[in-house]
Amino acid sequence: MSTATSETVDLQAEESVEEVEGQQGRISSLWSQHYDLVILPAIIILLLLALFLYVGTRQLDSIEQRVLAPDNVAGLLWQQILLAAVSTVLVLVIAVPLGIVLSRRGARRAQGPVLAVGGFAQALPPFGVLLLMAFWLDFGFWTAIIGLTIAALLPVLRNTVVGLQQVDQSLIEAARGMGMTSRQTLFRVEIPLAVPVIVAGLRVALVLNVGTATLASYIGAGGLGELVQQALRLNRINVLLVAGGIIAALALLIDWLAGVAERVVVTRAG
Amino acid sequence: MSETTDQPVVETPQGAGKPDMIVLEGVEKIYPGSEAPAVSQLDMAIPQGEIVMLIGPSGCGKTTTLKMINRLIEPTSGRILLDGKDVTHVNGDQLRREIGYVIQQGGLFPHFSIADNIGVVPKMVGWDKQRIRERADELLHLVGLEPSVFRDRYPRQLSGGQQQRVGVARALAADPPVMLMDEPFGAIDPITRDRLQDEFLEIQRTVGKTIAFVTHDLQEAVKLGDKIAVFATGRLEQYDDPNTILTRPANDFVSDFVGGGAAVRRLSLLELSRLELHPIETDEKAVGNSNGSPVAEVDASGKPVSWRHLPGADAAGVALVTVPLSGTVYDAVDVMLDGSASLVAVVDEEGRPQGVLHWNDLVSGLRTRERDA
Repeated sequence: MSTATSETVDLQAEESVEEVEGQQGRISSLWSQHYDLVILPAIIILLLLALFLYVGTRQLDSIEQRVLAPDNVAGLLWQQILLAAVSTVLVLVIAVPLGIVLSRRGARRAQGPVLAVGGFAQALPPFGVLLLMAFWLDFGFWTAIIGLTIAALLPVLRNTVVGLQQVDQSLIEAARGMGMTSRQTLFRVEIPLAVPVIVAGLRVALVLNVGTATLASYIGAGGLGELVQQALRLNRINVLLVAGGIIAALALLIDWLAGVAERVVVTRAG
Repeated sequence: MSETTDQPVVETPQGAGKPDMIVLEGVEKIYPGSEAPAVSQLDMAIPQGEIVMLIGPSGCGKTTTLKMINRLIEPTSGRILLDGKDVTHVNGDQLRREIGYVIQQGGLFPHFSIADNIGVVPKMVGWDKQRIRERADELLHLVGLEPSVFRDRYPRQLSGGQQQRVGVARALAADPPVMLMDEPFGAIDPITRDRLQDEFLEIQRTVGKTIAFVTHDLQEAVKLGDKIAVFATGRLEQYDDPNTILTRPANDFVSDFVGGGAAVRRLSLLELSRLELHPIETDEKAVGNSNGSPVAEVDASGKPVSWRHLPGADAAGVALVTVPLSGTVYDAVDVMLDGSASLVAVVDEEGRPQGVLHWNDLVSGLRTRERDA
């Protein structure tokens, strides 16, 4: 009897302590859960800093100076980001609804074939696809976008299908049992619970696109690949170094941002 | 809980007799691609305010029957009436919003807070936010969870038992007259399950819903059910009150299903408060008065601590065990076996002795007290 009372007192004491420490506790628990997110940006900054210092010590000739002018580099960087962003948005707009449709009862039989076609598209070398698309359609930005979109469709499509499949069947039954229509069940239960998996697929697609967008310069769509080409054409090692460094840093940064976004979504979705 | 019913008050023409809330008429389910019906020609009526337990071995059609009541599974033929209204062909989604539904482990949505989980149906039927919030608090209170602590938590932060309580609260949210429960306590540890069952009966006493409850646990069926429906491969074998099922099984199937433990199980139907108990004396008034009643030594608060005198036995050698008056004979037997005692003191809520039950009473016949029930 007496032990029971002291236990409850202890519990209450603990609770009040928790409340006092709540604010601090939240920040420190946030830090302990996500401190790993700081590592990658630190590496990126060090990489860029080293690159900057190294190039700073070099004597740049006029050609190198012109190619590496901030205006030129920034313009190409922006093109690169635009290529990756637009193609990923297109992937989102095409693959997620397609995945949802494929997961519906009537269309489940089509899942296998469609995923097989997606796998085929992903297996094609992106460079080859871009070149063939250019000959078939036209050289330029939108052709590159189409090529990138096709190449990155599969991860999102597959994750959408898998994400919806892994939603606990009993939750769907609970939803229907309470009188949700199949549409309400889809939008209020199934999709929200599949979002973490879908977002993981989008992250893969985005990173894939950022890398592959370098090849878009070969069909006249611009991007950081342009910088690489100029460096090779003019035989300027310093330019090549800078181009490679920026491409790598961009890919890492985008992956990091996507990772942060993914974690926010996962924490929200529980 | 104050009844905040939205439904119009239904006049019951039968007067005192309970009208049937759920009626199944010749209901049959044959799944596509299968010859034998999962449920065949089922006729069954569940009176208003009663708990009917659907029980039977796996694949006997009990869950199919339950899900046909809210048309999660469409019957192949037959009619289903709810409160006298044929619902066999009404909009299924609308129908299900008027029927509470509880599944195993609660089936709570992990991305909804507890309050939002409870508010699912009220939101669908168009209650305003204020009213939904008040209702969620009211129900959390009813199922024994402090609203200020639990309303903003997420299901994963709750234990299995707590989740199941929220599951029951969610089913009660829009105050449906009928509730369907599909093995709600199936995946919960025995101790918690026992407590949840007690609480569930307590809640049912205040809300008085008509409940169809699927279980595979005979103990649970006997404890909770006003009636038990025993199913075998698509057929209803017996539909009776628990006592009749246990004492007079209708056929070999039911008697096999009920099994050899029927007599023991029946003990849990006998409430101690309804038995004629032997008198018990406490030490203050009974020193030297050994008229055949056991005498117990009590502590300052009146709780018995040990036997001072037992007729025809050495009092020092027998441990004093107690069982609450609110329990059943089953509990009393359990306590006696556990304490190796041949008798048990029955105590009231304050722990004061009310009487004694002897081991011998079990075989020589238990006398029930006449109650003005």
